[in-house]
Amino acid sequence: MTVSTLVSLAPKHDGGLMLKNPVMTASGTFGYGTEYAKLVALERLGAIVCKGTTLRPREGNPQPRIAETASGMLNTIGLQNIGVTALVREKAPIWAKWDVPVIVNIAGETVDEYGKIAETLEGVPGVAGLEVNISCPNVAAGRIPFGVDCDAAAAVVTAVRDSSSLPIIVKLTPNVTHIVEIAEAVVAAGADAVSLINTLLGMAIDVRAKRPYLSTLTGGLSGPAIKPIALRMVYEVAKAIDAPVIGIGGICTAEDAIEFLMAGATAVQVGTASFVNPNAAIEIIGGIDSFLREQGMKDIGEIIGVAQMGRRT
Amino acid sequence: MIQGTVGVVARAEVLPNVFLMHLRTPEIAKRAHPGQFIHLACDDASDPLLRRPLSVHRIGRAGVAGAKAGIYSPSDRRESSSVDLWRPAEGEVSVLFARIGKGTTALARSNPGDALSAIGPLGNGFSFDPKARNLLLVAGGLGIAPLVALADEAVEREMVVTLLAGARTESGILPAAALPPEIEYVVCTEDGSHGRQGVVTGAVAEFVDWADQIFVCGPRPMVEALIALRISPTKSAQVALEEHMACGIGACLGCIVQTRRGPQRVCRDGPVFRLGDLR
Repeated sequence: MTVSTLVSLAPKHDGGLMLKNPVMTASGTFGYGTEYAKLVALERLGAIVCKGTTLRPREGNPQPRIAETASGMLNTIGLQNIGVTALVREKAPIWAKWDVPVIVNIAGETVDEYGKIAETLEGVPGVAGLEVNISCPNVAAGRIPFGVDCDAAAAVVTAVRDSSSLPIIVKLTPNVTHIVEIAEAVVAAGADAVSLINTLLGMAIDVRAKRPYLSTLTGGLSGPAIKPIALRMVYEVAKAIDAPVIGIGGICTAEDAIEFLMAGATAVQVGTASFVNPNAAIEIIGGIDSFLREQGMKDIGEIIGVAQMGRRT
Repeated sequence: MIQGTVGVVARAEVLPNVFLMHLRTPEIAKRAHPGQFIHLACDDASDPLLRRPLSVHRIGRAGVAGAKAGIYSPSDRRESSSVDLWRPAEGEVSVLFARIGKGTTALARSNPGDALSAIGPLGNGFSFDPKARNLLLVAGGLGIAPLVALADEAVEREMVVTLLAGARTESGILPAAALPPEIEYVVCTEDGSHGRQGVVTGAVAEFVDWADQIFVCGPRPMVEALIALRISPTKSAQVALEEHMACGIGACLGCIVQTRRGPQRVCRDGPVFRLGDLR
């Protein structure tokens, strides 16, 4: 019996951004994919989302950048990356030879920068789509993240949409009062899909030094500790919007991933788990397949959204 | 680099709160170079979540800790009733670590027969200058861990090795039996309870002219003190750094160190760097 795990992340877009299975690697946790090439059969992944990429190279934040916490970790890498020009020159040609879609995560400090990055990536072989990170601080608006304000978030999406013909995923921050409103705003502005959640703002204190542990005082919490929060938000957003939702947040096992799919996610991203087990995403793909067979199902679509109570069928 | 399971062959508390573990892992033992590390999962649970990077302390491999150097031969082993504490057998590597937090506490509880998930060998190890004959190794505290593997290989290559080892007190100093017998072992303790009194960097000046090449591992203040000595670049001084890391393979960018070549990843671009490149 064959089981279909094919999903589309952009059903309204030409080509649809089809993935052979719904398991992707999350931005910032899988480098440019090349780092894992010796350990992981990359072509088996649904997709790879690369490290957040800015217009110019960034050196990132001082040490310490990571702090382990109970079933999780805090990070403050500070978007260290090679910049979009080097990415097009050095990484995209490698990706063009791979049998796995690579989605470029992009981050700007102004609306204009997002547009320019998208423009630079237009028509570049090896780039299958864009994931727009709107969690970075909006310098123009006084360092408030774009992703906490509906209008600012929509403005970013419009700028990217105007500069790019690629499928656009918008990655949402959970550090907001109403994530559903932000999701609705970015879909209305032209996003093909949304991915959530980015990290939760947190802190750890070094009790001997008597100061916050991370150099920037706060950092983003990821790992299994955040999964229930992510799952709740995915459930709420998937119920409200008419576009694919990509679930992210503490996914370590196939069962974790299936929970997100049942909550309404069309696909998932594996993040921090790859740090611990580079083959986490591959094992999850196998586990989902086994689950579908065990349940006598023929298509991944049979589990997507099934746990949504009171949903229209 | 492989991802797989390694078997705990032996584990002992060799100094107060310091553990030596022999791991059966022929693939890693075959590939490992001094200065590289193994990324070990502490247990199967999610807390502690991250792996712990432990440098290769000694490598059990013919031609490294081999019979020629009188360190190990299979026949010696059969005659001995127990595992040789200091020398991993062929196909094994040993790691040396302090029990500090949750992760190393879990690792220190591992028993012979346990299986641990490992990725390795990772990173770039030490490299010998082909012209070097006299090697000076400078260890601060458990910074001695990777330098013993280096000493083994240097002895195998018939180089002359002096190892300066510093610790606060004698309880932080490995016995000479833990090292290849061919090397000169100079101990410094801050309280004078063993060897010379004072910090290890204070003894470096005495040996630096003699040395053709210098290898360093220890806490950051010790490394800073050595940078301040402005050792001639002709000595090709190399330092193995330690940093908190998540992935260990260059993806997370958690373990960045600033160098003259810009930000570098300790896990992938290092952990061995040229001393003169550090800022």
